[in-house]
Amino acid sequence: MKRYILGRLLQTVITLWILATVVFFLVNVLPGNPGRTIYGNTAPEVVVEKYNRQIGYYDPAITQYGRAMKQLFTLDYGNSWRFNKPVSSVVWPAFGRSAKLAILALILTVPIAILAGRFAAKRRDSLLDRTIVTTGLATSSLPEFVTGSLLLYLFCVKWKIFKAFADPPAGTSFFGQWRYLLLPAIAMAIVYFGYVARMTRAGVINALNADYTRTATMKGLSPRQVMNRHIMRNALGPTIAVVAVQIGYLFGGLVMIETVFNYSGIGSLLLKAIVQKDMPVLQATIIMIGLVYMLATLAADLLIAWLNPRILLKAS
Amino acid sequence: MQPALDVRDLEVAYTVRGIPRAVLRGVTFEVAPGEAFGLVGESGCGKSTTAYAALRYLPRNGAITAGQVLVDGKDITGMDAETLRRFRAREASMVYQDPGQALNPSLRIGRQLIESFTLLGQSKSEAAESALRALRRVHIAAPSSVMDRYPHQLSGGMLQRVVIAMALACNPKLLVLDEPTTGLDATVEAEVLELVKELRRETGAAVLMIAHNLGIIRDMCERVGVMYAGKIVEHGPAGAVFDHPQHPYTVGLLRSLPRRGARKHQRQLATIPGTLPLIGSILPTCVFVDRCPLADETCRTVEPPITDLGGGRWTRCHYPERIGELAAPEPSVDIAMLAPSAAGDGLLELSQVSKTFRQRGADIPALVDVELRLAEGETLGLVGESGSGKSTLAKTILGIESRDEGGTVALDGKAVAGSTMARSADEKRAVQMVFQNPDSALNRAWSVRRILTRAVRKLTGVKGEAANTRVEQLAAHLRLTPRHLDLKPRQLSGGLKQRVAIARAFAGDPRIVVCDEPTSALDVSVQAAILNLLADLQAEQRTSYVFITHDMGVVRYLADRIAVMYLGRIQELGPTDEVFNGPNHPYTEALLSAVPSVDGQTRERIVLSGEVPTPANPPAGCVFHPRCHRMIQGVCDVAEPPLVEVRPGHSMRCHIPIEDLARLQQADTLGVGA
Amino acid sequence: MTEAIIPGAAAVLPPAADPTAPLSERKQARRENWRLIRRRPGFIVGLIISLFWVLCAILGTHIAPKSPTKFLAKPNISPNGAFWFGTDKLGRDIFARVLVGAREVLVVAPVAALLGVIGGTLLGLLMGYKGGLVDSVLSRLVEAVLAMPTILIALLAVTTLGKSRFVVICTVAALFVPIVSRTVRAAVLAERNLDYVTSAKLRGESTMFIVGREILPNVLGPIIVETTVRIGYAIFTVAGLAFLGAGPEQGSPDWGAQVNEARQSLNGGIWWPTVFPALAIASLVIAVNLIADSIQSVLEA
Repeated sequence: MKRYILGRLLQTVITLWILATVVFFLVNVLPGNPGRTIYGNTAPEVVVEKYNRQIGYYDPAITQYGRAMKQLFTLDYGNSWRFNKPVSSVVWPAFGRSAKLAILALILTVPIAILAGRFAAKRRDSLLDRTIVTTGLATSSLPEFVTGSLLLYLFCVKWKIFKAFADPPAGTSFFGQWRYLLLPAIAMAIVYFGYVARMTRAGVINALNADYTRTATMKGLSPRQVMNRHIMRNALGPTIAVVAVQIGYLFGGLVMIETVFNYSGIGSLLLKAIVQKDMPVLQATIIMIGLVYMLATLAADLLIAWLNPRILLKAS
Repeated sequence: MQPALDVRDLEVAYTVRGIPRAVLRGVTFEVAPGEAFGLVGESGCGKSTTAYAALRYLPRNGAITAGQVLVDGKDITGMDAETLRRFRAREASMVYQDPGQALNPSLRIGRQLIESFTLLGQSKSEAAESALRALRRVHIAAPSSVMDRYPHQLSGGMLQRVVIAMALACNPKLLVLDEPTTGLDATVEAEVLELVKELRRETGAAVLMIAHNLGIIRDMCERVGVMYAGKIVEHGPAGAVFDHPQHPYTVGLLRSLPRRGARKHQRQLATIPGTLPLIGSILPTCVFVDRCPLADETCRTVEPPITDLGGGRWTRCHYPERIGELAAPEPSVDIAMLAPSAAGDGLLELSQVSKTFRQRGADIPALVDVELRLAEGETLGLVGESGSGKSTLAKTILGIESRDEGGTVALDGKAVAGSTMARSADEKRAVQMVFQNPDSALNRAWSVRRILTRAVRKLTGVKGEAANTRVEQLAAHLRLTPRHLDLKPRQLSGGLKQRVAIARAFAGDPRIVVCDEPTSALDVSVQAAILNLLADLQAEQRTSYVFITHDMGVVRYLADRIAVMYLGRIQELGPTDEVFNGPNHPYTEALLSAVPSVDGQTRERIVLSGEVPTPANPPAGCVFHPRCHRMIQGVCDVAEPPLVEVRPGHSMRCHIPIEDLARLQQADTLGVGA
Repeated sequence: MTEAIIPGAAAVLPPAADPTAPLSERKQARRENWRLIRRRPGFIVGLIISLFWVLCAILGTHIAPKSPTKFLAKPNISPNGAFWFGTDKLGRDIFARVLVGAREVLVVAPVAALLGVIGGTLLGLLMGYKGGLVDSVLSRLVEAVLAMPTILIALLAVTTLGKSRFVVICTVAALFVPIVSRTVRAAVLAERNLDYVTSAKLRGESTMFIVGREILPNVLGPIIVETTVRIGYAIFTVAGLAFLGAGPEQGSPDWGAQVNEARQSLNGGIWWPTVFPALAIASLVIAVNLIADSIQSVLEA
């Protein structure tokens, strides 16, 4: 186990390094002049040039790459070109807001989806199963902005149950915030419900077909005992993997939800950074989102290995 | 006395594409308390379905359509879910094929075993105690450490013991064993079978046993039923049925086995022409009629009655008295002419061949200093338990694995490169292979014609129309019809697929064909046809075979010489008859004694204790000494014996002189007779 | 608890095709799959909806009752007899814009998906068959790319390189390559150790031949499934890009862009400019996924 964890950690670090390199290349092939971007078209050339020299814009690529690596390991990306303050003071609050939304969405999705998937697998080919599968397929294939817009119309415009923006006014109490966050979280949950439910269903059906399930049944265990003691443990592996991948997407991919609901999370920050060519913020956010994704998949792999130790054997 | 299991006119159907198709067509038999009853037959005959139906476990699309299953007088076909659950928990158990799959991979052994006892109402701590006792009962030496393990950390033999311990938790009245030793090594199989015998004596449970290996059934069961197409066609005491079969199918089955020391140059094996009817076929009369040499108009129109032969024997045949007319296969002239050429000029010569794998920085020697010669037209049998290095040796010859530096593999006296890629076209063409599993060996996306054409073109360099002609000749030679050429592998039966694979191997007139258990996935009647084919091809083309197998009957039939391997070393190498008749290496002796024979046991089994050591860390001295029943303390555990010629052409790696081995082995055999 | 549980039960099932059938077995197997796919209601529904949108994409301006780009009436008229879906804030007919809007997505998405699948297949074949160092290095690279938020990276590329169709197609395809390669790699890994590959090596086949002719035909199933799934995601991504402002030039009808332009007025109760294009996207994406799902369940059964 220790060997596996260490190996997996090393993998994560290497992936992170590759990610940073890929981002470095992305940023460096983009045409753009940071000084000009910051000071605007009317600023004198001297000012622009001075700024560019200051941030090392004219340095050879290898020096710049070294700087990018240093930034990666210190997670210090200097000053934002747009906000003119440290990148960390821009990224962290946005990250916190996104995390809040993502966690709420996960809490809403995962338990219900697993239960639904399990239920569908048990009643395979029944009307209910088909309903769950088809609904899941339909909702999970929709772009989030479509789901979000439709929900917004129904709940905020037509029925006026929720507020149409997700950022609560300053000073709103911890619980008071949920009222603002719930609708965007539901929009996310609807999209992700299908993934998790379908994956759980597939996992449970696989386990139902396994020989050990036959053994458990022949032992004289009741169907419920077979399900709880023998099937779920084996069936959850792929589900956990999917949930982990989603955590990554919940942060980055949900820029659309944040846009629909005017929520200033990390997704909309990255969107802004792209549009405004704010490279330090852009790099920091992409790395941040990648980091979350990698840590989530790492945690998932460890959890799966703990649930099903045979994985360790295969991995080595 | 009330039977422990009473199956009456049981019919089971599987629904496939909306249509219920008959699998069991009225199966009737009884098993008395304490008795063991065996069901035999080829795959698809319905024996496993019967076993599972006896505990009312059917696939989702399966249903009992008629008949009754009474266990201890209670009809389980009508039980509600809860009663059935309690019945399974307390009165009947099952042992499965493939124990590695039968246990939950993510739960520790202890937890799974304890569960069987808590189901009986025991408390957690009582159950834990019982579990330890149960493991000791199946002779697991360190039960508490086994309880802490996960299934993937145990060997197949150990897992099957655990499954047996689990099955016996409730002291069942009925124990169903479904191919319990298929996939295990012969020596492990022997251990498991001995264990089952011992526990049967202790518990007095009635046993229903399913096996395709007739020897096992003869060894384990008092009575036997022979199944064909969902019906029992012959029934009676095991010895009587196997010694004097009274149904044409049983006769065919027994004659297709290579047994009683039969050799390829003495006679061909009998085969059963035709194939098993598909499930769901309408079979209004005799189920075997289409393949029966005795069948006449009556057989085609009237369902045969059960003919009572007395002594609990019956057969479902119109003409049991005509069984004697079934002709035994004639010795074929061609084959009689085939004599193993003198081991003089070596076609293939291996010297000092070793193969070391590296895993996690550790060296794992899979082959150690192998010396071998193979003459033209000769068959060398490679036997040994799994992990003995037989497959690695074959791969090294073929160049799939590169041998270690220092060894040589020579063809016609000329050394060849270690890897296939580096060999010349002629060298590639000279050595080909037939694989164990034809499903894996044939490209599923290709038609048979394409598979063969590609092999012909690539190996012989023949192109265009000439290649097509050659493919057709090749197919005809392997008794494939032109129609087969346009099919995909999945549309062929197992035997036909293996024929295609053999045809492909022979596409370039190879000098040597390596056969890796080519018949182990096939039924015996199909196996017989394949073995005959291989023998014929050898007779005509003087091809040499390296034949890997775990089936002693098969290797005795086909091989001229035999190499017995253990932990990557050749322990014994000699002419087939000498190796079989002895005096032989203690390991060979144990391997041979472990094989249950359909003709009844001639000598007591030598049970090899302990597991096969890992090649990474072989024992000091003779690598076999920790498991050897003739081990000499202070000698065998000190130095490894060299491979020496004990008789002309017969070498052995043993410290005990051959005269002593002869004496010891004779004494043991006599001991059983007395 | 399917038939596979009882050993032997699977063996007694009749083979997929009767061996006595006529020679064109390959075609027959395909026909059999096709027949099974056609029988699924999801496939039929998906196909009808998709065909409807394809028709709109092809005929577009010819079947639309009004012009999609002209300012025809007052802005923000709610749906009525003349303007079935109402008008947008510039007074254009939303119904016409929805019908014509299919074109953009249906040109860009399938092409991008196809390119992505081709690239991913090549990469996956290489990784799966070569294994070892090549596979390890490429796997890390793929993992790194997967860690990035797809749509935002696409947006980054499009904003930098220009909003042309060509750029969108290339970007989406490039982002799909690693995803597809993982699927193909897994399928190749399962094939690589089968004996037919060994047999090919024994007769001296080249690596190109083994990968292209021996293995590729056996992994086509997952690739076909992946293609349909990718088309769905491509629609998703292309619409998303348009929504985030990286769609085609202003004014031309595009569903994602329409939703984006109109969503600010949603709070004011003007729902039709948002809801109709949103539903259009929804119907197309769901339809494609229904088709993908049907193909997947038949091919993987």
